[in-house]
Amino acid sequence: MFKLSVDQTRCQGHARCVIFAPEVFDFDDEGYAFVPDDQTMRQEMTPDVKQAIANCPERAILAEDVPQS
Amino acid sequence: MSDELTQARDFDFHGPALDNIFDTYKDLRTKCPVGRSDKHGGFWYVTKSEDIFAAEQDPDTFSVAPSMLLPSFGTDVPLIPIDIDPPDHTDYRRLLLPLFTPKAIGRLDEGMHDTARELATKVAGQDVADVSAIFARPMPTIVFSRLAGFPEEDWPKFDQWVDDIIYERTVDPQRASRASQAVMDYFDDLLDQRADDASTDDIIGHLQTVEMKGRKLTRDELLSYCYLLFLAGLDTTAWAIRSSLWYLAQNPAAQTRLREDPDLIPQAAEEFLRTLSPVQAMARTCKADVELSGQQIKEGERVVLVFGAGNRDPEIYDDPDEIILDRDNNRHLAFGGGIHRCLGSNLGRAELVIALEEFLAAVDEFSLADPSEQWHGVGPLTLRIGK
Repeated sequence: MFKLSVDQTRCQGHARCVIFAPEVFDFDDEGYAFVPDDQTMRQEMTPDVKQAIANCPERAILAEDVPQS
Repeated sequence: MSDELTQARDFDFHGPALDNIFDTYKDLRTKCPVGRSDKHGGFWYVTKSEDIFAAEQDPDTFSVAPSMLLPSFGTDVPLIPIDIDPPDHTDYRRLLLPLFTPKAIGRLDEGMHDTARELATKVAGQDVADVSAIFARPMPTIVFSRLAGFPEEDWPKFDQWVDDIIYERTVDPQRASRASQAVMDYFDDLLDQRADDASTDDIIGHLQTVEMKGRKLTRDELLSYCYLLFLAGLDTTAWAIRSSLWYLAQNPAAQTRLREDPDLIPQAAEEFLRTLSPVQAMARTCKADVELSGQQIKEGERVVLVFGAGNRDPEIYDDPDEIILDRDNNRHLAFGGGIHRCLGSNLGRAELVIALEEFLAAVDEFSLADPSEQWHGVGPLTLRIGK
């Protein structure tokens, strides 16, 4: 299990993540990316999310492990 | 060592220096990845991707004053927002952001396809054509001018102004500054004509009516925005389209592959942006003493972030000088990064992808008619159309 988020202080709105994983990322009215609440907690790392992370020019996408209790 | 120093001291990223610049990058990177050039008043060049990234993420140390451009674009005033540091930068940039989001650009999709298709059809009907003049340059001129609100009757004047300001400024600074004045006067007149116009359908209208911290923008601020948008919106995209076609013209197998599998075009476009970037470098000024790749740089010194070199850094990319149409993990610096990341990247990308889609769909196999024409710039690109 991991928690996916976009570091709002780093995102500059390149919009690469939404190209690779359009179901997972969304944009606010200024074009900055975020992960909608219902997409945040994820069971496994999927190829689309992996590509979004690898292609983010600002390295702003965070995937934090969440220990299963 | 003396040869290395000579090479570093002569390093430039404008005009004919671009002809063999990818070899130059390779030499500099292995011998002296951060070094000192005597050109343009003297600067430190930075060639490694990680160093460039670090500098872009630290705008407090790496200031864009007096200008991100080296040499500057022939104006005495800083350009908004690229030559402005935080905190003012944040407010200036925010005014434009909503106009360039993926959703906002998505609304232009149909119009961009129509424009590209019309232009590509004209190319398809010829045996030999300068596709820079009749395709790569007009497409962004039409798309961006409509978005910005630059009247159609003025479009024929634009290419010469862009050439004089961007490309002639290192050769003939006076010519560049005359063109620069002409562009400023042009926008001053345009803003006069539209002073009572309350429409917000285009960028100029938006900027004329929007409020920043409870006040309207001043005429000087509006002029600065217009001047920058004019130069940023037309030239870079034209270069990206032209350089992509330059590559494809020499690689019929790549043309065939993209014609047969157009879904690959967005990925290929990223690769063209990485390897043939329209913006090879941008400048900063150090606000404090810093160290990059072991090199000390003093407060007040100019630094040039060489995106084009970082984009071919072997520490980041496998076979960095190879153009691999379906390259994965293509995190490149073509649009810069950090707070000054190209605001128009979503538009520029869309224009490039659509231009290639329509060109490849309409035009039969093409090749270089004049192999002496270079990969860079927006000068003629003469293609022979049909096998």
